[in-house]
Amino acid sequence: MLDKIKSNFNTQTWVLIPIAIAINIAVGQIVLLLKLPVFLDSIGTVLVAVLCGPWAGALTGALSNVIWGVAIDPGALPWWPVAFFIGYMAGRMAEWGFFKSWWKVVVTGFVIALTAAIVSTPIAVYLFGGITASGSSFITAYLLQTGQGIWQAVVSTSFLTEPVDKITTAMIAFAIILGLPKRTIGGYPKAANAEAEGADKNQLYIAIGVVVLLVLFAAFLLRNILGG
Amino acid sequence: MHERLSFHIKRDSAIHRLNPLTKLTLVLTLILLAFLTPWYWTPHILAVIFIPILSVIGKVAKEYFTTALKLILPAATFLFIMQAVFQPIGEEIIFHFYFLDVTQESLMFAFRNAMRIIVMVSAFTLFLLTTHPSELMSDLTRRGLPGQFAYVMISTLQILPQMQAKAQTIISAQRSRGLDTESTFLKRAGSIFPLVGPLVFGSLAEVEERAIAIEARGFTSKQVKTSFHEIPDSSNDKILRWSLLFLILVSIVLNLWHS
Amino acid sequence: MAFINLQNLTYKYPLTKTPALQNINLQIDKGEFISVIGANGAGKSTLCYALAGFVPHFFKGEISGEIEVDGIASSKSTLDEWVVNVGLAFQNPFNQISGAKYTVFEEIAFGLENIGVPREQMKSRVEEAMKLTGISNLADRSPYSLSGGQQQRVALTSILVMQPKLLVLDEPTSQMDPIGTREVFEVIHNLTQSGMTVVMVEHKVEWIAHFANRVIALKDGSIFMEGKPSDVLTSDLLIENGFGVSRYTSVAREAKKQGLWKKEKLPVTLFEAAEGFKE
Repeated sequence: MLDKIKSNFNTQTWVLIPIAIAINIAVGQIVLLLKLPVFLDSIGTVLVAVLCGPWAGALTGALSNVIWGVAIDPGALPWWPVAFFIGYMAGRMAEWGFFKSWWKVVVTGFVIALTAAIVSTPIAVYLFGGITASGSSFITAYLLQTGQGIWQAVVSTSFLTEPVDKITTAMIAFAIILGLPKRTIGGYPKAANAEAEGADKNQLYIAIGVVVLLVLFAAFLLRNILGG
Repeated sequence: MHERLSFHIKRDSAIHRLNPLTKLTLVLTLILLAFLTPWYWTPHILAVIFIPILSVIGKVAKEYFTTALKLILPAATFLFIMQAVFQPIGEEIIFHFYFLDVTQESLMFAFRNAMRIIVMVSAFTLFLLTTHPSELMSDLTRRGLPGQFAYVMISTLQILPQMQAKAQTIISAQRSRGLDTESTFLKRAGSIFPLVGPLVFGSLAEVEERAIAIEARGFTSKQVKTSFHEIPDSSNDKILRWSLLFLILVSIVLNLWHS
Repeated sequence: MAFINLQNLTYKYPLTKTPALQNINLQIDKGEFISVIGANGAGKSTLCYALAGFVPHFFKGEISGEIEVDGIASSKSTLDEWVVNVGLAFQNPFNQISGAKYTVFEEIAFGLENIGVPREQMKSRVEEAMKLTGISNLADRSPYSLSGGQQQRVALTSILVMQPKLLVLDEPTSQMDPIGTREVFEVIHNLTQSGMTVVMVEHKVEWIAHFANRVIALKDGSIFMEGKPSDVLTSDLLIENGFGVSRYTSVAREAKKQGLWKKEKLPVTLFEAAEGFKE
């Protein structure tokens, strides 16, 4: 077990983690500025998870929230277990070969989304009584008003919002890895997990296409829920 | 743009002089008390009386209140309103707003939750104001935290402002080429890649060289690392830590016994 | 036996087809100041990485031949042991800031902390090293707030403080002004006088001519020419193969064609050129 954890970490992993955390936060802030209906605040976490392994991904996720919490918005702090499991699951999926082509990455994104939904629900319910300071709580509140139970309302909200965000995140991470020179990737512990099957270029174009479609879909979804 | 991300205010006070681990234990205790003690008013007293007093003892009252007013209060207020309006509990309706009912119970519930969040956030703020990150990391490393964690924490705090500055530059550069962050949704969605790309690829290309640089300076050495900073840990610190742990234990027992 | 011994060293990075270093044979004595010149892609940096242990321990790839420093073979050592004896500083100063420290003083102490130097020795060693490179006045500044030249001095100091037996420098003065460059060359020269061995990649040939004991010219991963600076840096072969030479050499070469340069040997530095034209 300890050896497995250790195998995720070489010096390049340790150097990559701070950069990945900064990517999480900086990109998260850009997306906020663009007013897009996604968060995209775990691209760095997924990158580390794929290139270095699940434990490195988990650490990146957890530390992202801790640092986001202590440096920018302390409200991010209690969500660290969610980020931890996003990183862990992304790494596991990559180890099982699910980061090698665009549709496999979609599956990975979906699995990460489920993980996030499951882990975040008890935190939202116990710590915040279901209503958090996040925008998606409008949906939870709406569901609560329609008479759903609190657990059901929180879980439904997560299932509505998470998949689009996490599949987009995984796709962008995939596109980044495809765009990196092979030489740059070679030094990471789990570089082999990121080897794309088939032509890189085609995978890249499909990945970009999927991202744009997903974001459009998210906007459509939101408009219908909130408008309706 | 800040040159680095640190709230720390260099002053000499009883709180500054505490060992970082003692302060961390204090933060944890405050948060757990706010969430665990069964008495309704605990978080309120901690947030409104106890933590402000600590900030005065720590000689950071001015900075503390500025942060509280600018960051903590708006977030807590938002949470309070959301919970008061949307929480479907209680019978006694105070007022009615479309399909939403605000009851006495939901108000009380929201009030306590907002206060709990204020305790959590302001306890951390106080900690950050009185503790330098490298002090904390040196102390934790001395106590057995692997040195790589100190590296990750501190370099993140230094890289993040640089990355944010880079992000700003990229956004303005893209704007001058016609990207409008106010334009149609499709355009904004399509602009993710030109914005994120340069930011990410530039910093990923540096990883290898930076890894070489720290390995050249013994980063992977198997020797027991030493630390230049000597962080004092007095017997008072130890006594305080044990009492705080005892307090946590009591509140857990009370919580279990009460429910 | 030489202090450094490279024997039939051939090395290929992963995923590449042509070797970056080909059949390098090189012996260097203790206390020598060696300068390496060559075009981009000639293998200068790879040679530095090989001496500093990063080829092959960090980069992997295919290697054959021997790398020996102070009687120890690189193949029988690990990178973390190797870097205690061999220090490496390279061109981009920004990437050499660890990021783990808030002040220049702490930054320089970083290496000593890592290899477990006791606290009592740390302060004096860091202060001594900073005095040597002339950056004592920067001790409390943030490494990120410095100019490129100052950062290069910090990078150099951070390695010097670890007191390596062999110092490998890959263009350590690229962002310094002439005065700064001169000071760094003088510091390094003094260190070699006290027994440190230095291998330095550098374009500034006038300073090489002034301070180095020997020049190694690399081309396409092989040693193209090797010898005393005054011989190598003025050789026609070097100029014809596209190596950069000093402007004084170029001027004197033209002058010689027109009979204006009387001496047999071409100059490298301003001083030599002035002396030569006086005759």
